[in-house]
Amino acid sequence: MDKLLRDKKAIILFVAPALILFTVVLFIPIGTSFYYALCDYDKKTMTYHFIGLGNFIRLFKDKTMFIAFKNSMFFLVFSCVSQLIFGLLFAALLTNITKGRNLFKNVIYLPCVLSSAALGLLWAFLFHAKVGINNLLGAWGLPQPAWLYSTSGFITLPMWVIAFVALWQYVGQSMMLYMAQISGINKSLYEASYIDGATKKQAFRYITLPLVKPMIGTAMSLNAIGSLKFFDLIYSMLGDKTENLKMDVLATYLYRTGFSSKGGNHYGRASAIGVILVALCLIATAVINKIFKTENYEM
Amino acid sequence: MNRKAVSVMLSLSMAAGLLAGVPMTAGAEEVQEITWMFWDDLEASEDPITQGFAANIERFNADFEGKYHVTPITTTLEEYYTQLNALVAAGETPDVFIVSPGPNLTDYVAPGVVAPLDEYLEADGWKDTFSSDAVFTQQTYDGKIYAVPLNIAAACCYYNKDIFEEAGAEVPTTYEELLDACAKIKEAGYTPITISAGTAWCLSMLAGYLCDRSGVDLAAINAGDESWVQDKTIAAGEKLLELSQYFQETAAGDSNDDATMAFAMGDAAILIQGSWAIGQMNAYNPDIEEKCGVFQFPAIEGGGDPGRTIAKSDSLAVSATSKCPEGAVELIKYFTDDEAQKYTAEVGGKIPVTNVEFDLDVAPAQLADVMDVFSNATGTFGFYNESLVSSDAGSEFDNEMVAIFQQEKTPEEAFQAVEDWYAEEGYR
Repeated sequence: MDKLLRDKKAIILFVAPALILFTVVLFIPIGTSFYYALCDYDKKTMTYHFIGLGNFIRLFKDKTMFIAFKNSMFFLVFSCVSQLIFGLLFAALLTNITKGRNLFKNVIYLPCVLSSAALGLLWAFLFHAKVGINNLLGAWGLPQPAWLYSTSGFITLPMWVIAFVALWQYVGQSMMLYMAQISGINKSLYEASYIDGATKKQAFRYITLPLVKPMIGTAMSLNAIGSLKFFDLIYSMLGDKTENLKMDVLATYLYRTGFSSKGGNHYGRASAIGVILVALCLIATAVINKIFKTENYEM
Repeated sequence: MNRKAVSVMLSLSMAAGLLAGVPMTAGAEEVQEITWMFWDDLEASEDPITQGFAANIERFNADFEGKYHVTPITTTLEEYYTQLNALVAAGETPDVFIVSPGPNLTDYVAPGVVAPLDEYLEADGWKDTFSSDAVFTQQTYDGKIYAVPLNIAAACCYYNKDIFEEAGAEVPTTYEELLDACAKIKEAGYTPITISAGTAWCLSMLAGYLCDRSGVDLAAINAGDESWVQDKTIAAGEKLLELSQYFQETAAGDSNDDATMAFAMGDAAILIQGSWAIGQMNAYNPDIEEKCGVFQFPAIEGGGDPGRTIAKSDSLAVSATSKCPEGAVELIKYFTDDEAQKYTAEVGGKIPVTNVEFDLDVAPAQLADVMDVFSNATGTFGFYNESLVSSDAGSEFDNEMVAIFQQEKTPEEAFQAVEDWYAEEGYR
């Protein structure tokens, strides 16, 4: 094996298929998108014309882009904070119980493996104006909120509703990551702390949290990238109403700008949104890694 | 049995399994595949027009078995152009696809995505079967026909006779009478008008009627001779806002289907929709057929011609890159032959485009009223969002009308935004 690993030809031979595949399906399309972001697509001739930073300048002045950016930032912050709190809380609780641990773990994790499109439709029915929750509220004589179509407020009610659904769907993923990290902490550390008179809360604060910190960075980076790319739930819950309901996020705006009959076929501008999205993902990951940069402890 | 023998047997059985599929594909090689794209699910839809289209394809496949085979590509209405544009961009334009006349069709005619069909229409008297050459007006570019209309739908006001009677409301002929009827209906505890603002084109259709009745000259605006910001458009915007107090509470989020269902189920008194909604409302609730009346959109005093009606047709276009244009044209003929056109009128509730004879007594009761409105119309005009300088302009118009309804913008601000859009895009 060692001999094989010293053979450069063998290394190239083994790495080449993956590298070629990655280049074809990832690097070339990303590079092409960067180029198209600098072009304008002419619907009539179906050709691209180089316009430099024109698409970015236009997006900078675009009100819908501002709404999409604001909503994506909201999802980013909400998702990172809420999944940190609830993911860690569930992980801490489940690592401390033995009875029913697997049941709760599976119940919380289950939405992660289900189709977002199906879940989106399910929640759309629950938050429908006339059926689902509102039907129940109406029967009790209570006011029926416009869960999915209110447009008032800086952060609208539908944004909160969809953010809650996203939390419900993805909190299991964060929980699993934190559980894996907590399970790796040496039990003797806790035993020593209890001997020294620490309470469970203190053990969590001074042992669990510092040792979970590297995983917080990883989980939060995943949450940040996931929430910036957020598309499927919004689209399955609101369809093409995102624009009129001021519910666009960067990914839905990209999709509409690129393909929709409502202001679509602007592939250059859609690529520019894609470039902004990639840049935001890189910035968010870098910031989070900077904040949660820790030394690796021996656990 | 030793291992070698077992492995040989397994290999043979696998090879036999593979060969079992060969005859199926060998016979299929001669069959030319035709893709047909449409904006509704052929199997799940309750819309009689869609069901009729499914039957046409079934007939075609049976009649041309061994020569042509149609594979439908279906999407939702909302997703339709999104998916179609993606296929066009990928160089996989369906052989035949449905398209709305106006800027949507222009988007495919201008870059040469669709083929002219005159040669086929003239070839064997096919064109003579149509009721008049006028049915091709919206599909004609520089004297060439690029799509074949399948039916005509007129946008009218449907009303629930029982609710009107209970509320003591009269069928309105003027805008003031419409407001009066709405007030009485609201007083009686019903929703006066059901409409979808979630599906923006529905609200935009009402705005289009209000603009036209107010006397807006759309051609002059498109040509740049007039501005969007003028007394007539602003008056139309104010009336849209005034009428919105009579919409159902959930109008902002309701889809077109939600709004139609509210009318069909007797929750609302008036539905402003195209005649394509007839089949849908009757499917939701067969009882509505007897209760439903139809009236022309009311006149606005001192405004434009009150006899004009919004008319729209579904049309089929053929891809310019189709490998089987003859088969594609043969397929379209199955949508305009007597059987299909008779079904269009008698079951679908839409106006046929050919000279086919049909039994009006068999057709949905509302169709006679719609045809009455249509035949008494002094002229027709298209959906506003499909009659502007481009499909993007239509989208902008839709969004601004929703902004008026949601009271995010005043009518002045909304029409100024449309005017600004025209200027920014170089149409001024």
